[in-house]
Amino acid sequence: MRFFFPDSQDQVDPTFDFVTEEHDPFRVRQRDDLYAHEVLTGAPFDGLLVSKAIVDGQVGSSAGKYTVAQRHRLYREGARRFFRLDHGNTPLKIMGDCGAFSYVSEVEPPYTVNEVIDFYHGCGFDYGISVDHVIFQYDPAASSDEAEQKGWAKRQRITLELAEKFRDRCDARGVTFTPYGVAQGWSPESYAAAVEKLQDFGYRHIALGGMVPLKSRDILACLAAVKPVLKDGMEVHLLGVSRCDDVPRFTEGGVTSFDSTSPFRQAFKDDRDNFYTPSRTYVALRVPQVDGNAKLKARIRSGEIGQGKAIELERKALDQLRRFDKDDTDVEAVVEALREYSDLWDGKSDRSSQYRETLTDRPWRDCSCDLCRKHGIEIAIFRGSERNKRRGFHNLYVFEQQVRARQARKDPA
Amino acid sequence: MTETSERDTGRVNELRLPALKIDQGRGRSLFTFAVDGKLVPEIATVSRIRRDRNTELHGYQRPEVLSHVAAIRRYIETDASPLLPNAIVIAFDERVRFESAPGDVPEAPGYVRAGTLVIPLIDGPEHERPGFIVDGQQRCAAIRDARVDRFPVSVNAFITSETSDQRSQFILVNSTKALPKGLIHELLPGASGALPTPLRVRQLPATLLERLNFDSLRSPLHRMIQTPTNPGGYIKDNSMLRMLENSLSDGALYRYRNDNGLPRTGEMLSLLYNFWAAVQEVFPDAWNKPSRKSRLMHGAGIISMGYLMDAISHVRDNGQELVSTEEFVADLKTVAEDCHWTEGEWTFLDGAVRKWNDIQNTPRDIQRVADLLQNRYRVPQLR
Repeated sequence: MRFFFPDSQDQVDPTFDFVTEEHDPFRVRQRDDLYAHEVLTGAPFDGLLVSKAIVDGQVGSSAGKYTVAQRHRLYREGARRFFRLDHGNTPLKIMGDCGAFSYVSEVEPPYTVNEVIDFYHGCGFDYGISVDHVIFQYDPAASSDEAEQKGWAKRQRITLELAEKFRDRCDARGVTFTPYGVAQGWSPESYAAAVEKLQDFGYRHIALGGMVPLKSRDILACLAAVKPVLKDGMEVHLLGVSRCDDVPRFTEGGVTSFDSTSPFRQAFKDDRDNFYTPSRTYVALRVPQVDGNAKLKARIRSGEIGQGKAIELERKALDQLRRFDKDDTDVEAVVEALREYSDLWDGKSDRSSQYRETLTDRPWRDCSCDLCRKHGIEIAIFRGSERNKRRGFHNLYVFEQQVRARQARKDPA
Repeated sequence: MTETSERDTGRVNELRLPALKIDQGRGRSLFTFAVDGKLVPEIATVSRIRRDRNTELHGYQRPEVLSHVAAIRRYIETDASPLLPNAIVIAFDERVRFESAPGDVPEAPGYVRAGTLVIPLIDGPEHERPGFIVDGQQRCAAIRDARVDRFPVSVNAFITSETSDQRSQFILVNSTKALPKGLIHELLPGASGALPTPLRVRQLPATLLERLNFDSLRSPLHRMIQTPTNPGGYIKDNSMLRMLENSLSDGALYRYRNDNGLPRTGEMLSLLYNFWAAVQEVFPDAWNKPSRKSRLMHGAGIISMGYLMDAISHVRDNGQELVSTEEFVADLKTVAEDCHWTEGEWTFLDGAVRKWNDIQNTPRDIQRVADLLQNRYRVPQLR
C-alpha cells in the first residue's frame, strides 16, 4: 500500500522563532521553507499528489496557493526539482491529477486532455491521472433512468470519453509518465462498469474518484463490486481518503495506493483530533494570537474588551505552557491559564478536561519524530500556521508508521 | 532630572520636569519637555474608542497595532544607536500646571518661557491619570515593552479639559497623507540603517531599478521608468519592481542573491541589460511609448516579459556565461507572432479573444498574457 500526500504548498519556515514569532525578513518563500519530507528524517509518505487546479489556482479567480512566479518556476524546473523530491532520505514519486472537486459545479471539465498531458509531461511526473468529472452523489438504488435524469450517467460518460482520449494521446506522444484512468460512479455497479471500460481502453492503472464524501461502508461496497472485474496485476488508486482508520480494509479490497490530507489537516481543522499518537488522538492546546484571531480583534477594535488584558492572558498562557514543559508548573495552573484566555477569545466551549488529558500525558515526549524532539510542547499548541503545520507533519509521521505497522502484521514477508 | 516631592497627604507625588512654555496665540500654550518613555504610562493613558450602554461614544484611540509596536521595540532593543525624533503628543487636564523659572532671559523672544511642568502622579486606575496620549501610542507601547532600562523621549503637551478638543487634535495629527510609494522607492537605494522590514526587502529591487533607469551608458531602459525625479518615463515603477521581485524570488536573478553576503548586482544588471536590449530589438514598434499606445510598456507587458526572461535563462543557461542579447533575441522571436502590444487581438489559452488595448493591468490579464507567452515558448520543446 502506497500513500501519497496531496500538496497545497504546505511548508514550514526553519527560520521561524517561536519566542519572538518572527521570520527572517529575507527568507524566500518555498525556497527557504521546508516540506514534510525535508523536515522529517524518513519521508512520511511515498510521494506527493499535485493537482493542476491547486497549481493554476481556481478557474476565474486569481488567488491560488501558488504565486504566478512560483507556478512558472514549477513548469520550468519540473516537479522533482521544485518539490525537492530527492532532498530527503527517500526519493519520492510524484502523481498528478486535475483536482476535479474544484470544478465540480461546471458543466464540463475546464481543461483539455492535451494541456493536462503538457502539465504532467512537462513537469516530469511519474504518474498522471486522466481528466475526470466528479459525481458528487451516491445512490446504490438508483435506476439507470434516474442516473440519466440526474446527469450522473452523463458525467460518467464524459469521464470515460476523456480517459479514452487521454490514453490515446499519451500513447501517441510517447509520454514518460504512467497514465491512470479514472472511474467515476454513483453505485457499486456503476463503478464496476466504469472500471471494466477503462481496462478495455488498455489501462493497467485505475483511480477511483469521487469517494471523498462517501461513508467507509459505501466505499467498501464499491470495492467489493470492483474487485471481481479487475484483471491480474491491476494497480488501483483511491483518490482522497478521509477516514484513514479503514486503510487496511481498503487494502483487502484491492486498493494498492491512496492519497489523503486528513492527518495533516486535522492538526488545525478538527475540533478534537489534532495530535496523533499510535494509540489515540489528543486535542491541541489553543492559544490564538491576539492579532490573529478575527473575532477577538473585532471585539478589541470595538472597545468591548481591553487589548492589554488580552495580551496579558495570552502571554500568561504561553508562559505557563513553556514552564510546564520544563516541569516548572503543574497541570492545573496551565489549564487555568488556558481557560482564562479562552473565556476571552472563545467564551463558548470549555475544553479544560481535554486540555488536562493532553497535558497529563504529554504525548510529544513519547514521540520520536524530529519535530517533537526539537520543539517540545510548542508542537501541541494550536496557534499560527508555523506550529499548526508542524503538528500536521507530525501527524503524517504517526499515520505513516501506523500504515506500515499494520501492513507488516498482515504481511509477515 | 526628575524630581518627585511628597505633599502633606503623603499619597500624591508629583513629577517636576524642566519644560518650555510656548504661546501659539489666542490663549493656547504648548509645553515641550523630555521624559523617560518608561514613565509615560504613569502620567498618561490611552483613551480607547468604545460605546457605553446608552450608545454614547467615549474615547478616540484605536487599539495598538501589535506588529508595528513589535517592529519599533526590536529597533529600540537592537539598533546600535536608536533614535525616535518625533515628539509624543499628550493632552493634560487642569491638574497639570507650569511654573515659570524666576528671572527674565534678556533678548529672549516673548512667546517662549523656561520653567517647570508639574504633573501629579495619581495612584489609582488608569483613567485617573492626568494625561491622554493623542499621538505616539505605538511608540509608547514599544518603549513600555522594550527590554531597556530607560528611553527618554520628547513630549509636546497641551492642557484642555474637553474630550472634543483632544478628539479634533487626534484627527488632525493622524489624518496626514502617507508618503507616496514612488518617492519611498526612489529613496530606498540611498537609505541605510533601520527600515521597516517590508522596505528592507524592497531595497535590492529598488537599487536595480535605479541602475536600469539612470545608467546612460549601458541600460536599454535609460530614463524609461516613471519615478518622482523622472516623471517622463512610460513604465510604472511598480510594474518594473514586481518584475524584478518575481525574478529575484523565483527566476533568473535568484542565483545572484548570495544570501551570505552582498547580492551580486553586477551580474543581475548585465542579465537585465541583455534581456531588455533584446526586447527592444524584437519589438521596436512597441518600445518606449505611453502604455495607451503600447501594452508592452504596461504592467501586463513588463511582468510577462520578466517571466519570459526567467524561462529563456533557464533553457539557455550553461552555468558559464550570462545569456547574451543575441540568444534572448533568437528565443523572443519564437513568441513574437503571438504578441499584440500595439494592434490586433490576443487569443489566450482559455480561448478568450481580446483586443490589444482591452488588456488591463489586473492580475487576471497579466496572468493570461504571461501564461500564453510561457506556453508558446515551452510547448514546442515538449512535443
